Amino acid sequence: MTEAKAKRSSSLPNLTRYLTPPVIALLLAIALFLFGGVISPGFVNPNQAINIVRLAAFLGIIAAGQTLVIISGGEGIDLSVASIVTLGAILTFRLTDGQNELILPVLGVVLLVGAGIGLVNGLGIVFLRIPPLVMTLAMAGVVQGLILQVTRGQLEGDTPDLMSELIAQPLIGPLPGVIFLWIGLGIAMWLLLERTPYGKMLFAVGINRTTATLSGVRVPLVVVLTYAMSGMLAAFGGFVLLGFTDTVFLNLGGRYLFPSIAAVVVGGTLLSGGKGSYWGTMSGALVLQLINSLLQAQGLPEATQSIILGVVLLVLISIYGRQRAFRL
Amino acid sequence: MVTLSAQHLVKRYGGVVALADGNLEVQSGQVVALLGANGSGKSTLSKIVTGVVAPNEGQLLLDGQATSFASPLVARRAGITAVYQELSLVPEMTISENIWLSHEPMRLGRINRKAMQQRTQALLDLFQGTIPASLIPTTPVYNLHPDERQIVEILKAISQDPRLVIFDEATASLDSSQVTRLFELINRWKGEGMAIVFVSHRMDEIFRVADTATVLRNGSHVGTVDIAETSERQLVQMMIEGATAMEREAREPVAASAPIRLHVSDLTTEQLRGVSFELRDGELLGIGGLQGQGQSDLLLAIFGAIPFQGRLALGGKEVHFSHPQQAMKQDVAFVPGDRGNEGLLLIRSILDNLMLPSLREYGVPLRMQRARAQAGDVSDDLNVIMSSLDAPVNSLSGGNAQKVVIGKWLLRDPKLLLLNDPTKGVDVGAKGEFYSLLSNLRQQGTAILFYSSDDEELLGLCDRVLVMHDGRISAELAGENVTRENLVSASMGAAHHEAKPPGASQHEEPTA
Repeated sequence: MTEAKAKRSSSLPNLTRYLTPPVIALLLAIALFLFGGVISPGFVNPNQAINIVRLAAFLGIIAAGQTLVIISGGEGIDLSVASIVTLGAILTFRLTDGQNELILPVLGVVLLVGAGIGLVNGLGIVFLRIPPLVMTLAMAGVVQGLILQVTRGQLEGDTPDLMSELIAQPLIGPLPGVIFLWIGLGIAMWLLLERTPYGKMLFAVGINRTTATLSGVRVPLVVVLTYAMSGMLAAFGGFVLLGFTDTVFLNLGGRYLFPSIAAVVVGGTLLSGGKGSYWGTMSGALVLQLINSLLQAQGLPEATQSIILGVVLLVLISIYGRQRAFRL
Repeated sequence: MVTLSAQHLVKRYGGVVALADGNLEVQSGQVVALLGANGSGKSTLSKIVTGVVAPNEGQLLLDGQATSFASPLVARRAGITAVYQELSLVPEMTISENIWLSHEPMRLGRINRKAMQQRTQALLDLFQGTIPASLIPTTPVYNLHPDERQIVEILKAISQDPRLVIFDEATASLDSSQVTRLFELINRWKGEGMAIVFVSHRMDEIFRVADTATVLRNGSHVGTVDIAETSERQLVQMMIEGATAMEREAREPVAASAPIRLHVSDLTTEQLRGVSFELRDGELLGIGGLQGQGQSDLLLAIFGAIPFQGRLALGGKEVHFSHPQQAMKQDVAFVPGDRGNEGLLLIRSILDNLMLPSLREYGVPLRMQRARAQAGDVSDDLNVIMSSLDAPVNSLSGGNAQKVVIGKWLLRDPKLLLLNDPTKGVDVGAKGEFYSLLSNLRQQGTAILFYSSDDEELLGLCDRVLVMHDGRISAELAGENVTRENLVSASMGAAHHEAKPPGASQHEEPTA
């Protein structure tokens, strides 16, 4: 008893304990924003801040499913998110054909289709034991092919006005709807990960599948469900993105594939699984968007931007690695 | 000749003092037992002596000269090596490649494979009769059982012709015949001038092999005593500071009228070859025998974690689980043997580990306050020493981590508790607490199936003991018959049995 008390009092809170990767990412985002003000005067203003959060929101929403898949471990990764984003946007574009009253039913269809594609990913990974990288890469090809096959390159349809009003235009004061949507998703993801049996099981599966199984967790079910959810969230991302772009093209989601993984990793989620958070991913999305906006504001060529982004990612990840070594 | 003297060693990790005052004296021809509860600093002291960690204070004298080892390699060159419980073998490499790794016999600048195989064979011959003859130098290590890996680990240390060897819990996964052989060898090496430090939680082994015992408590040297003049009780007292020594459990026979909780008939798996028995409510049924005779398979099959043929009845109802979750719904709980890899999520909090099997009970959203209260109660009951429920479980010592594994199942009030060697690598204090827990559970009517690699535990605690060999029950000991002699002879007699061709043994009932 006395020993227990002694130990309790000796573990004083120390600062490095709170400097977790998600916190580092968030601090970095703030620092980058202020740094932006230094290198290009006028960068720091409310409109710019809102615009950056708005752009980060699309990436953040698309990276939500990726977060779940990466936490599930077993080399979990979902390379099909980009094609599903494209599909989600094209389906919405085509099926609503600009009619506001069709938005909700079409959203239902889009979510179901996304979940279905994710479900096939999960089944292939669990039951046919196809590595996630291969399974989801192949699925990306299949989805892209289906889009081409069905549309034959003719992208007909229209975006309902209500969607862009609700998503991209200022909704409450100067804030666009997508920001509220993102915050709502953040709360939902936190509840899902920290306050449901599924969330706790997902971490267990990501850390140690033997322990999970021997504790009564149905590992295959959790994994399949996770990929299904990733598909669904990617399709939702496509739906939301349409509200911003107003139009569709065949490679709409393509540029979100690697950022969706990078946002998760920058947010401190371990690629090996079992550890991570969605608010980390949200911070990661902000960091990536800020770097992007800063580089664009400097008018640097695309190639240079790409190099700088890569280097920043490497530096950040190596800092996280160091921190883990320190804590062990 | 070699003498090693560690004087007032101190090792701090950040603010935590792992070793406050470590002293150790050992010389040629001597076996010193290093004793202490988990967290007493034994491992740290061994690691300083073998150059794995550097001390903050104190000095190390080798043959009277002050020394410090910058790395294990430097210590090894000085003739000091260690055999650890956590294994350092490369599974994809063969026995001989593992043993000679980094000091391969060379000839004309190339590895002399022939010499390497011959020397490996000579080393394996040291354990002849206690390991299968099918083990040859070119057997890959991933094919080996834990006890065989441990032996390779020992041989790897010996292959370096050391002057001083530290055996750190090196007997934990060995069976009794292998331990006996190891002790014969230690006596021989001792005669040849080797100095030996022996770390073990098993009292009987210390009395069998050691000349003196050095006891550590909370990182400090308590004393060094002559084994011949010391009783087991005295040693335990030195280790656990005033508390009562572990008492043998008085056996109360279970009423034959108690309902049958578990009925197993003709259970067959890859390793099991037809196992049948009954277990009543409130009964503590032991499973003994040499390592790897199917004991783990038996427990895993009952828990639904591996496929099996045969019949299982739980509380009179026939069941056939294909997933642990189904077994858990019928109030079956399983404490696995390897707590790090099978029992715990090491980087998650104590609370999360305790909740894991019971998540569905807490609803959506999870009622965290209720979970926290229950987890707090169970960890208080089990006397888990921790900073808080939110601390990661890998911050706990071995004994406390094992309490978390047990606690997560106690939260479910199991009617049938399956235990796979639950006290392996657990300190004496925690073992004592665990034994009284078992007796409480029995009184509440929990049926317990208890595999242990420690014969003393089976003898001290169990109503009946099933001795297993080669996937079968080779003897059932009950009442007066639960004696050390019977237990050992049943496992050994069965081992003798193995020498016959498999076809011939198929129709014979082994005798105890």
